[in-house]
Amino acid sequence: MAVQTSAPPSTRQAVLVTTDWAAQNLANTSTIRFVEVDVDTKAYTEGHVPNAVGWAWDTQLCDTLRRDIVSKQKLEQLLSVSGITNQTTIVLYGDNNNWFAAWAFWQLKVYGHQDVRLMDGGRKKWIAEGRELTTQVPTFPRATYQANAPEISLRAFLPEVMKASSEHSRQLVDVRSSQEFTGEILAPPGLPETCQRGGHIPGAKNIPWGKACNEDGTFKSAEELRALYTGAGITGEKPVIAYCRIGERSSHTWFVLKYLLGYQNVKNYDGSWTEWGNLVAAPIEKP
Amino acid sequence: MPKPEEYSETHTTLAGWPITITTYRLDTIYYTTIDNTDPGAWVVKAQGATKAESESKATAQAQALLEKIKKNPPPTGCTSVPGF
Repeated sequence: MAVQTSAPPSTRQAVLVTTDWAAQNLANTSTIRFVEVDVDTKAYTEGHVPNAVGWAWDTQLCDTLRRDIVSKQKLEQLLSVSGITNQTTIVLYGDNNNWFAAWAFWQLKVYGHQDVRLMDGGRKKWIAEGRELTTQVPTFPRATYQANAPEISLRAFLPEVMKASSEHSRQLVDVRSSQEFTGEILAPPGLPETCQRGGHIPGAKNIPWGKACNEDGTFKSAEELRALYTGAGITGEKPVIAYCRIGERSSHTWFVLKYLLGYQNVKNYDGSWTEWGNLVAAPIEKP
Repeated sequence: MPKPEEYSETHTTLAGWPITITTYRLDTIYYTTIDNTDPGAWVVKAQGATKAESESKATAQAQALLEKIKKNPPPTGCTSVPGF
């Protein structure tokens, strides 16, 4: 199989917008919808991009009963009340260099939305550039959104990850910090420890998500990203599965590999370490 | 519409952990967020009438939180279970 190289510029432009572009297109609410999705779900209310709606990852982008992504029906409702149609261009942005914006991007692709983009640099860059913020929550006429059935080729479940680890049929990328990867800590400093054991899935390569970002929160160039991942042996020749702790940081890496580097077969394992690290008798590697 | 001003990022260490203190002013309020740098998740946030007040509040909260973090012993090797 030929090595997959970085995505052509047209692909990158199709999934990323600059803050300049965003500022110039804020008023175009008929075909574009800006959506803020933050780790800190209160950040939106402090001030957000004008005309942006806010989605909460922990209530609106997941199943609140069982552990799962948002259901098709619930997503359709969310998009409909946000005034989003199947033809709308959705521009996502958020804090932490677009962690949960990428999580939303991944879910929108799982449900087949055509035109989704990330605002490069996210909330951090918008604020650092001193651009306008508002506390006014916009309202839009309700739309009718019809989602596709979930595209499971974008999502890895436990059995596939087990197979990937034991048979080396797929490459596993652990995007957590090196201290989480080695098991020195169970969760990012300051966040709840939600697993029983530390370490990583045997065979995984550790490429922390943040290495894909510049200091200002934007994504690194295709050349830099290619060097980063191919340098660690993640070339796209084999299918790739990215994971982290709960699946949001790995959404970020999934986005990079699939859309900025153009790897064809990339999945996000949203069960991630909070699933694997709690399994009885699961193999764990601690290098 | 207000614009954020006086944006600043300070990289430092607190309770042995690298952190980033980010502050900006919106109208008359200073907003501070402290994240844990690696991996970059926010740890605490605070507000104040001055930058010093906002950052002081956030730092005190972060200190209390970060001091509680347990570090596990250094890794000793693979603990795979055959036949899984």
